[in-house]
Amino acid sequence: MSTHITVDPVTRIEGHLRIDVEVEGGVVKKAWSSGQMFRGIERILIGRDPRDAWLFTQRFCGVCTTVHAITSVRAVENALKLEIPPNAQYIRNLIVAAHAMHDHIVHFYQLSALDWVDVVSALKADVPKTAALAASLSDWPGNSQKEFQAVKDRLAGFVSKGQLGIFTNGYWGHPAMKLSPEVNLLAVTHYLQALDYQRRVNKVVAILGSKTPNIQNLAVGGVANAINLDNDATLNMARLYEVKDLLDSVKQFIEQVYFVDVCAIGAMYAEWLKYGGGVNNFLAVPDLPLDAKATAFDLPGGTIFNLDLKNVKSITSFEDPYFQKNVSESIAHSWYDGDWQKHPYEEETVPKYTSYDPNKDYSWIKAPRFDGHPMQVGPLAQVLVGFATGHEPTVRWAKKTLDTAGKIAGTTLPPTVLYSTLGRHAARMIRTCVISELADKHWNLLAENIGKGDTRIFNEPVFPKGEQQGFGFHEAPRGTLSHWVVIEDGKIKNYQAVVPSTWNAGPRDAKDQAGPYEASLVGNPIADTEKPLEVLRTVHSFDPCIACAIHTLDVEGRELSRVLAL
Amino acid sequence: MRTYVLGLGNVLMGDDGFGPTVVRAFDDAFDAGADVEVVDVGTPGLDLMPWLFDADRVVIVDTVKSDGAPGTIKLYDKADILRHLPTARIGPHDPGVKEALLTLEFAGRGPREVVLVGVIPKTVGMATELSAPVAGAVPDAVTALVDVLTGLGHMVRRRAVCEVAPPWWSETVSPAGTSTAS
Repeated sequence: MSTHITVDPVTRIEGHLRIDVEVEGGVVKKAWSSGQMFRGIERILIGRDPRDAWLFTQRFCGVCTTVHAITSVRAVENALKLEIPPNAQYIRNLIVAAHAMHDHIVHFYQLSALDWVDVVSALKADVPKTAALAASLSDWPGNSQKEFQAVKDRLAGFVSKGQLGIFTNGYWGHPAMKLSPEVNLLAVTHYLQALDYQRRVNKVVAILGSKTPNIQNLAVGGVANAINLDNDATLNMARLYEVKDLLDSVKQFIEQVYFVDVCAIGAMYAEWLKYGGGVNNFLAVPDLPLDAKATAFDLPGGTIFNLDLKNVKSITSFEDPYFQKNVSESIAHSWYDGDWQKHPYEEETVPKYTSYDPNKDYSWIKAPRFDGHPMQVGPLAQVLVGFATGHEPTVRWAKKTLDTAGKIAGTTLPPTVLYSTLGRHAARMIRTCVISELADKHWNLLAENIGKGDTRIFNEPVFPKGEQQGFGFHEAPRGTLSHWVVIEDGKIKNYQAVVPSTWNAGPRDAKDQAGPYEASLVGNPIADTEKPLEVLRTVHSFDPCIACAIHTLDVEGRELSRVLAL
Repeated sequence: MRTYVLGLGNVLMGDDGFGPTVVRAFDDAFDAGADVEVVDVGTPGLDLMPWLFDADRVVIVDTVKSDGAPGTIKLYDKADILRHLPTARIGPHDPGVKEALLTLEFAGRGPREVVLVGVIPKTVGMATELSAPVAGAVPDAVTALVDVLTGLGHMVRRRAVCEVAPPWWSETVSPAGTSTAS
């Protein structure tokens, strides 16, 4: 006898992600991931000037604005074979790095830690014991008895006022919550401290991007940040040092708090290092280009099939034909007209909604494939590709993570544990540590280049008559993002965005191969079908971001979300 | 005392673009002084928090779900927004104003005072234009903003020269490429 659970939180974002699972004997046997909103927003770009495309693409999603802007200018530059000056490359890289750190800190603390941390349990914590435990794990100055006591008091006040609603997805008191009250208090304290650090790193994006969200400083051909060391209104040494101070303080938080918390939670929920691996093919693209031509990158890219790390195949340039040729999208189980699998340059987006039928069509999301295979993208892919290609900082931070978590758990953890639900959180933290180091490096590259007297920021794009095709990619916080543009006589003829959450949340294809969310849920235990916390844990570990492109504020409190167990 | 005026919504999704449209129209026509910062923030979810972290007072313009005719403007205060607690969610990027305010309140931060200028939308779907009733409500929302800011003690002056350029997302955008140069 199996139980069918639908988690369909049609929250105030109209139409969203719906997850269905079939549970038998307390374990998920089958899963379906469905995007509940038509996402054909690229059509809005047709006929427009390619130089303006990035302004539109960064409104595709309210949270991932920066990544769509960067990818769009890269796609148009690729179509024109246009190089950008080194300063523009480094400024973009710093924005990319700061955005990624911000996104990952917010994801772990504000958006998913509460899947693992029982906030209410922290009220029972012994403060001196919490401080002693914290001191055994880290030198972080924010781990004082005074700080823990203050947080405990504030939490008590919050609970007594009945304001715990923000933690609705926390399922406190759930049998799958396993941390001691002291660890819970430690985590809640860092949850609050993280608010300040995500704000600091966000300020880096704001300084360099002129504004955030929705940066203003990009241009096809470079950036619009005028550089003049003697002018207060431009990018000068004072601004650069402000950026450096912010990056330094955030690096300390990442290494002394985020790193330690993920290791500790991983060690204390070791059983979650066994579930949730999912699709075992991985894709990541290279990023943080080091020169004007983008011939070398500080972050590696490549593909891995069947978890075979020895045969990793590298992706090495913005023109890489291996990447360009192998990306396609299938609509076999999606609500679109036709039944094809096509290359993004050739795709069209003609909606044809029927009904939700897991055996036929069940999602607005297309199913991206690489050489016909479903691929998992995101931090786990990034770290595995880094590991497989011998990327020094990735290997070093991955080993340090496994050692530290292993010590806390009193066991030895092999790299294979990363292929799991909690492993995805660990990979995201490893990637954040790596990016934090590289942000330092790219700050130095920028300062040195400006110091040499190079203030160039922009190369003028020229649009020839006739048709050009171009693609741009970016290894965004959630994984590989690519934009594909066809330009005719200086106007956009076709535009497609293949986004990370489409790779991960997409449905089955014509061969019935499940997408990463679907595959990762199979085998997960479900302790309570009314409160399927485990489903949320695994889906949240991907950091889903579907159709954030719309929202309407519900101030009058309609019940908009439901969990159905049939 | 610093006040932020934040336009929320997606300018590519029809009436959802009301917030950004209104704050832009307000900024084109009025000067509220150095203590008022006017920003089109898009749909940032919890990324709203950096804007609210140090703010003392925030005025938000957004679409709202409510009974009434499309284009109707409704004002809410902080207590109204927080009265109904958010519900369970799956996408970590669902949370918005309410969650950002509650999270900051838990941290002992965030604005003391919040005013929401809301409009009831007609059509929310892919489009770069507002529907007729919602477009018609823009001037009223701008007036409401002027009243709210004046009520908060700011001196709001009509600009001597009011240059109203079509927004970059409008269909009638000026020769392309110019918007990237600003």
